[in-house]
Amino acid sequence: MITANCIRKSYGTQGAETVVLKNVSLEIKDGEFVAILGASGSGKSTLLSILSGLEKADGGSVVCDGEELSAFDERSLTDFRRRKMGFVFQQYFLLPHLTVEQNIKMGAALGGGNVREILSALGLSEKRKKLPRQLSGGEQQRVSIARALAKQPKILFLDEPTGALDEETGRSVLNYLAERQREIGFTVVMVTHNRNIADMADRVFEMGDRTIAKVFHNPKPKNAYEIGW
Amino acid sequence: MVVGWKESFKLIGIVIVCACAVMVCTFFLNYYLDASALRDTVDAESFPLYEAQILTAKIVSLISGGCLSLIAALLVVFYVKLYVDAHARQLGVLKAIGYSDMRIAAGFWVFGLAAFIGCMAGFGGGFALMPLIYEKMSEGLFDTPISFHAELLFGLVFAPAVFFGALAIVCARLKMRVSAMTLLRGEDGDARISARAADKDRPFLTQLRRATLMSKKSLMFFIGFGAFCYSTMLQMALTMDEYASAVMGIIIFLIGAVLSVTCLLLAVTVLARANRKTVAVMRAYGYTFWECGRAVFGGYTVPALVGYGLGTVYEYGLMRFMLDIIFRDVSYEVPAYTFQTVDFFCVLASFLIFYGIVLVLFTHRLGKTSVRAFVLE
Repeated sequence: MITANCIRKSYGTQGAETVVLKNVSLEIKDGEFVAILGASGSGKSTLLSILSGLEKADGGSVVCDGEELSAFDERSLTDFRRRKMGFVFQQYFLLPHLTVEQNIKMGAALGGGNVREILSALGLSEKRKKLPRQLSGGEQQRVSIARALAKQPKILFLDEPTGALDEETGRSVLNYLAERQREIGFTVVMVTHNRNIADMADRVFEMGDRTIAKVFHNPKPKNAYEIGW
Repeated sequence: MVVGWKESFKLIGIVIVCACAVMVCTFFLNYYLDASALRDTVDAESFPLYEAQILTAKIVSLISGGCLSLIAALLVVFYVKLYVDAHARQLGVLKAIGYSDMRIAAGFWVFGLAAFIGCMAGFGGGFALMPLIYEKMSEGLFDTPISFHAELLFGLVFAPAVFFGALAIVCARLKMRVSAMTLLRGEDGDARISARAADKDRPFLTQLRRATLMSKKSLMFFIGFGAFCYSTMLQMALTMDEYASAVMGIIIFLIGAVLSVTCLLLAVTVLARANRKTVAVMRAYGYTFWECGRAVFGGYTVPALVGYGLGTVYEYGLMRFMLDIIFRDVSYEVPAYTFQTVDFFCVLASFLIFYGIVLVLFTHRLGKTSVRAFVLE
């Protein structure tokens, strides 16, 4: 479970501060699929980075899986991310000099996932010796998801995972992700600006005025092919 | 302007290598020209030493000046490649809106400015040290007055500046031969992998270390060369006290230290910068900064040690050559040269400590890479 309590975050120096988050509180249950929805600049990526331990809040607390992240130093945060978290980024950030298989190994080396099985499940077996630049955007994002899943994370954080993909590729990527989440049961925290994509989540936290303005419960989440685009 | 004036001041590596090359060449070539004019006035007793010193001046300026000039030329090629890779998108935009390759490449002439600054500094430094060098070279046996040779100023300052400026333009022109789209995508042309390497089932960090090494092959050369300079010049400096003079030893020590530190720091800085995104993603995934540091820098330890070993062989060979061949006819007794085991181990220990400190500092710096800045924005 992730519990955030009164998180505050601002950037810039004193006097010229920009408040990005003010008093954000939320609770995410184990195995839940949540979406953080908001327009550009609403603070959703900052919230994701704080919940995932990539960054520290200026105030408030984040408790993740019973461990207080706000009290951790950099080394403990690194160790925590290593043990529990996986990431998928909008721009994929695959390692350019490594093949598809070697990129997936980056996650597997920390979590013990079976690289060959994941390659096969994602339909990437034939591309395993290719470099990222030899793949399409959709294929790169699938590799990025494969890398995250190979780590067998307890919580998977996704930052606009379909932001750079076309509709067809985006739907297939989301479909694969949702299937794996149902099958394995890890927690998914996905940041998106697309209300339609948020319809796939069990719960949606909508950002507004630098805090969580609304929370929607979604009793019947849609699948990737039912949502609008 | 494609490349700003300020860029020339960032090319500190070229400035330092040019300064060292020109300084060595200035005082030895100047000495060679001045001493050559005295051939008829040297007495028979001093003649073997005179001949040996003239030959020394010629060989040292040819070997050191030649090698350093080659390194400076390689640095120019290296900097142009780095600049084009780092600014690929901006250059791609220029190309896309209709700038010709030559027009873009012409902007790289400012790289010649760095060479000019370095050569000028080296020429001035060479002249400043000249009285000292003349005194030591002539050993008080024959008096060599210092003269100014305009051809040296042209050949060692203006000609290299023009040459390096032109070289930068040619290299940039060759680098621009890709499509505008390739530049706009910012594709890394070095990203290749052999089928054999891809098949090997090695641990992830080992594969990353090898891939990083192979993706920046030019840095292997600069790290190896930095270690080579350190080994050669510092060991030579320690033996100079016995065979020449302490002053000569200090000069060689300073040039060696500046050159090797410049090459090593330059290579490690470039390596750290080029791998910031990789490290950011690894840090997000929970890799420690030591693991990141080993993956990025670890592969370069072997080239560094090979460079160090070659430097030792070169130093030994050069000293034997100088003492056994050039100085064999001098009238006074030259001590026999043997391999200096103690010096070797002292310099090796200092190199390992220095190299280790550099890697630890840069690994710490890499570890402070803002993960969020790269991956979430």
